[in-house]
This record gives sequence, C-alpha cells and structure tokens, in this order.
Amino acid sequence: MGRIIEEIYVWRLPVRLYHWINAICTVILLLTGVYIAAPLLNPPLGEAVWFKQMAWFRYAHFAVAFIFIANFLFRMYWALFGNDKYGRFGGFRPWSPAWWGQPFREQVESYLFLRSDEPNYVGHNPVAALAHFVFIFCGSSFMILSGLAMYGENNPGGFSSALTGWMIPLFGGSYTLHFAHHLMAWIFPLYLVVHLYAVFRHDIVDRTSVTSSIVTGYKHKVEEEPV
Amino acid sequence: MQSNQTFADLFKARGVSRRDFLKFCSLTSVYLGLSPSMVPSIVNAMENKPRTPVLWLHGQECTCCSESFIRSSHPSIEDLLFNMISLDYDDVLSAAAGHQLEDARKKIMKDFKGKYIVAVEGNVSTKDDGVYCMVGGDSFLNIIRETTADAAAVIAWGACASFGCVQNAHPNPSGAKPIDEVISGKPIVKVPGCPPISEVMTGVVTHFHTFGTLPELDRFGRPKAFYNTRIHDKCYRRAFFDAGMFVRSFDDDATRKGWCLYKMGCKGPTTYNSCSKIQWNEGTSFPIGSGHPCIGCSEPNFWDRGPFYKRLAEVPFLGSDSNADKIGMIAVGAAAAGAAAHAAVTAVKKTKEEKHDKD
Repeated sequence: MGRIIEEIYVWRLPVRLYHWINAICTVILLLTGVYIAAPLLNPPLGEAVWFKQMAWFRYAHFAVAFIFIANFLFRMYWALFGNDKYGRFGGFRPWSPAWWGQPFREQVESYLFLRSDEPNYVGHNPVAALAHFVFIFCGSSFMILSGLAMYGENNPGGFSSALTGWMIPLFGGSYTLHFAHHLMAWIFPLYLVVHLYAVFRHDIVDRTSVTSSIVTGYKHKVEEEPV
Repeated sequence: MQSNQTFADLFKARGVSRRDFLKFCSLTSVYLGLSPSMVPSIVNAMENKPRTPVLWLHGQECTCCSESFIRSSHPSIEDLLFNMISLDYDDVLSAAAGHQLEDARKKIMKDFKGKYIVAVEGNVSTKDDGVYCMVGGDSFLNIIRETTADAAAVIAWGACASFGCVQNAHPNPSGAKPIDEVISGKPIVKVPGCPPISEVMTGVVTHFHTFGTLPELDRFGRPKAFYNTRIHDKCYRRAFFDAGMFVRSFDDDATRKGWCLYKMGCKGPTTYNSCSKIQWNEGTSFPIGSGHPCIGCSEPNFWDRGPFYKRLAEVPFLGSDSNADKIGMIAVGAAAAGAAAHAAVTAVKKTKEEKHDKD
C-alpha cells in the first residue's frame, strides 16, 4: 500500500447518521415485514389473550417505519438545503442530456470492463447517484406512500388515510397494494447486495477507504504503488 | 299495488303494529350508522313519502343477490320492506311476464321520469354488441342504457354490477363490464359482495328513500356505512391474529380451536365489508365464523387476485407457481451471482494489470 497523500472529509455527520439509521430501519422493517406477511414462528402456548406476537411485530414495523420516514424526510431536507457539497442533490440532473454524457458513460464503461482506467469520484459517481435515486429515493418513496396508505386502513378517514388513501384505488384495491408493497420490499435486499459489493470493490480497486468513510467521514487518497 | 302508498300505509295494511314499525325504523338507523336523533326523519319519510319505484334489471349474473335480498332478517318486517320499495319490474320476481312486464318498465320510466331508481344485478356483456346477454329480445347493453337514461340513481347490486365479478375475470370471453363503465352521468352506488349482505341492500334503499340522496360513498363508490372498515377489524378471531396463533392446515388442531385463518389465505385484512359486524342469515354466521377464510368478494376483481387459499398473490405473467417472494429471491440471487462474476472479472483484470506492470 502506498502512502496516504490526502485526507478528504466527504460524509458529514448528518449524512452518516442518516445512512446508519436508514440501514438499521431497513433491516428491521424487512424482518418484521417478512413475519407479518408469512408468520413462520410457532404459535405461543396458551390463551390468545395472553400473547401479542403478531401485534408486537406489527407495532415494531409501524414504529420503525415512522423513524424511517422521519429519517428520509430529514435526508431530503439536508439534500436540498444542507451546507454539504457531497450530500446535496445539486449535481444530479437526470432530466438534462448533459448529465448522461461523458462522465456517466465513462463510469458505465468502467463497470463493464470496457476501459482500463477507473474514474474516481470523491462523492458518488454518476452511476451510484442514479442507483441511489432509483432504489433509495423512488423505492423508499413508494414504500412510504403505500405503507402509510395501508396504515391508514386501521383508521378510515383518519390522517394517514386522508393523506395517502388514494394509493388504494390507484393500485386496484387493498390486496393489490399489499402485494405491491411486498414485492417492492425486495428491492432493499437486492440493493444491499449490489451496494455492499460496489463499496468493497471500490475500496480494493480505488483504495480510497470508502468503506470506513461512512463511519469516520474521511476518504483517503493513496499514493500510487511504486512500480 | 299503488305506487303512491307510503311505507306506513303498507305496514298498517299488513297488520304491523306502530311499535314494530318504530322498531324497524330504529334498527334501520343503526344499520346505516345514523345517530338516534335521525330516527324521527326515517319515521317521517316512511310515513309521508310515497314509495320509491324501483326497476330491478338482471344482466349476466346468478341471482344470488336476489336470493340474499329476500332473506333479509327480521322476516315479518323485511318481507314487507321487499314489497315496500314498489318493485315495479324484476325479471325474476314479477308475476307478469313478456310484453306485459316490458310495458310496465316503460310506463314507470315515463310516469316517474327522473324519480325512479334502477337497481342492476349482474354486469353487461359488451363484446359483439352485447349479444351474449339478451333480455326480452334486446341486448342487455341497450336495455341498461335505455332504462338508466331517466333514472334518479343507479344501484349496482353485487360484485358483478360493481366490479365485474367472475364474468369479467381473465380472459373475460363475453367482454363483460361493470355498469359504471357502460353508463355515465348518473349517480351510482356500488353494493359489492357475492352476494351482498341483505341488510346492507335494504339499508341502501332505505337511505335513499329517507333522504332522497345516495349514502356517503368511499373511494370505490361503496356506501361508507357498510364498507368503511375491513372484515379483519371487527373479526371475532382477531385476538388469535394478534397473538400469532394461526391455522396452518384445514385438518389441524388449530382449525378445531377456531384460530385465525390468515395463513390459509383469508382476505379479511384487505376486504371492506360488514360480514363480521352484521353477519348473514339473521346474524347466524359468516364465512370466517364457519371456519372458511374470506375470499374478498366485495373487493375489485377478486377472482384475479390469486389463489383463495394463499396469502401471496400469484404474479400472472410468470406462471401459476410464482409469487412475490420467489421473484424477489431470484432477483437477489441474480444480483449476488452478478456481483460474484463481476468480482471475478475484476480480480482477473487486476492480476493481469499487475503482471503487465511488473513486466
């Protein structure tokens, strides 16, 4: 390994906090969600009134979901108004053809082994930005809206029913919305696999300590290994 | 029977005491979810308003809605209610037949223009100009358009008229459509279910008779009084659901103990209806009460929503053995395999480059 020649503060504390709260919430939501959809645990022994197995799983799912939503909204605030060069959405302009130009193409080519050099970015590279937009922004938005719509079913005419209840007819009924919520939940494990692989790979190939940067906030530029 | 007779007149003629009449009015207000202060308006309407003429059309259907309707509980009263609405046309129940009956329909349409209610049971075949459902020598498509043209309101009885039911399930050979896709510009109240609960049906008619307007509807056009909450919310087996005690097969001990049918594919958590409140046949029971999971018959397109006895719906385009979890697992597996392959190529490339650098 070469010498560290530069230390860059990339992920400010709000971004790191968001990342880990989001990660923990997603895992809990997935596990509780799996139980709610297909309760695999053995039934408790005794009278039904003594136990709250399913009720607690649902309670945990809803409570963590609200933390997830608050965390998501906080990240949106930080992305739009935060004083953060790498955490802002400033550079992400998928509506402009220019954004899909040279840097994006280079990154895709690099991932497809069509180039020998690896483009290096301090923040997210354009492909990573797009992946985060699709999986995290769109995926979370859908899960939040459909989740709130179904949560609103517990209290018809209440706040979340009035706010997001239109999702139910949009998806052709409560059952289909449950199904869509369940199917879309799979993008999170899917994303997790791709995300972890990409991070570890970049860490090895680029040697920018991207893995530890989400804990410490710092990325390092390492001197090229002497030939 | 005279059309300007009031409900009260009819009750009196049938020998129902005033006490029973008032009981009926109170009971109806309870079913409609109205406050006790509204009972006098119901009594007033029943005593003074002439009975609402109803034309009851039958399209592609099985008559289970009619069967349910005539079994409305508290028979001595509900049997009268069945007579009360001045049912002037009904293919199934009318004594008259043929041209006589068709003339009666046309006469009501002329005499009570803009005041009569059209109740539709069954849906409309639209393929090939609707030849797959002919009534009285004309297609049902033409008849429903003609009859509803001057109606005050339209009631869609049952899943067929409301959402299409089995006739428009895939592949829908007769091009069956629910009535709201065939007529326009008329207030439609949907009373879905296969069949709907009889008290719900009589309740909707009473609401219209009392207030002259349709009841408050939910996002799917169903009266909120009966379709506001899910079967699950009022289910007497809910305690077993919350405790995590589920039936796992139809012959296990849990079935005999009456545990929750969630894992057997019960659609109660996603079905809006009053089965768990009002129940059926004078409050005798309802499907879950008899140990059978709810099939969600008051929800749109319930026939195409996957198997009745499974929780997760099939994904139709991927074959009958696929479900959300299988698709998800395959996608995650493919991603993991892709990542592994990508890692392998990266490693090979890196080794080559290093070799190249050393040379």
